[in-house]
Amino acid sequence: MIERALLFTLFLIGFYGIVGKKHIIKKIFGLNILNNAAVILFILEGSRIGTDAPIMDGQASAIVDPVPQALMLTAIVIGVCITALSLALAVHLYRVSGSFDIDTIRMRIQDEA
Amino acid sequence: MKENSKRSRYWSRFTTVIAIVAMAVVLLPIFLNDTSWPIEARDYLAHSGTEESGAINLVSAIYLGYRVFDTFGETIVLLVAVLGTMGMLSRVESLVDTSLEEEHTIGSVSGFSLTNEKRRSHALRTHLLEVVTGKIGPIVLLFGFYVMLYGHVSPGGGFQGGVIIASGIVFLALGNPQEGSSGISNPELLVRLESAAFLTLILVFFSGLLIGNGFFGNPLAHTQIPVGYIVILNAVIGMKVGTSLGFMCIAMMGGGS
Repeated sequence: MIERALLFTLFLIGFYGIVGKKHIIKKIFGLNILNNAAVILFILEGSRIGTDAPIMDGQASAIVDPVPQALMLTAIVIGVCITALSLALAVHLYRVSGSFDIDTIRMRIQDEA
Repeated sequence: MKENSKRSRYWSRFTTVIAIVAMAVVLLPIFLNDTSWPIEARDYLAHSGTEESGAINLVSAIYLGYRVFDTFGETIVLLVAVLGTMGMLSRVESLVDTSLEEEHTIGSVSGFSLTNEKRRSHALRTHLLEVVTGKIGPIVLLFGFYVMLYGHVSPGGGFQGGVIIASGIVFLALGNPQEGSSGISNPELLVRLESAAFLTLILVFFSGLLIGNGFFGNPLAHTQIPVGYIVILNAVIGMKVGTSLGFMCIAMMGGGS
């Protein structure tokens, strides 16, 4: 139970980073935290039906479900891709506007237009 | 005017709190549910997963055997991410005069290096960083290859090993005493390796057609070593992920142009 409450808090921290922060890099940090909370939740759910790692070396008896682990492998790679793309977008915005703060960026782009 | 900006700040905080509370209300049932997890897939895989794919590690049996289409899509997403990142990083022109920058800028960070540092690309590195990463880089690379090639018998696999290889490449690039890049952290070489790895991946996926197993089929399925397919795929995917992530990191460090 405690781990679920902690994961829930982690997810909300990530969400706060996305909606509450003005700095683009902090928003990307929030996105990563949120992604990780979702990944850990899946691993936790899959681990409820066993205790051993899904490696069949002859000693494993009650293995955890390997399906969510394999799916989360995909999710982690997609998370890395999203992080890279959003960081590149942040660099682009910084080069165009000279700031990482979304209000300043909006102001300067409106001034330009 | 001041009163107005104060009010808008309070309003934005209020909306943030509302958004977080709404998110919490939506998500709480998901985090608190206690329906029992289905065990059929686990039981089936524990019983016949190793037999069918040859891999002792059931996770790699899934993502390189049962769900290899997923992995193929994943490598394509990675390719698209690299393309998009490079496209965005390479051709940007500044609309605003960059002397405008005040807060939140990279330029305001003072250099960490000693005052007589002449190499421009090393201005933000300490000598400690340079020495440590240069020494540890080859070891990290070796560990990455171990994780990549033993993915079928132990925790690990192509993606995990590839990420470790990418860290090794970044370490070697950081620990490079010369200005610019050389050797394995050379972007040209990394791009070539990545393309070759992706081509090999597609050829390996097609290889099942030769013996009538179809696209993604395991050509070694009826031999003594069905696990060979997973080892080859792990190695190729590891090369692909390692070189593309390493290339992306080096490009973000400013060596890609």
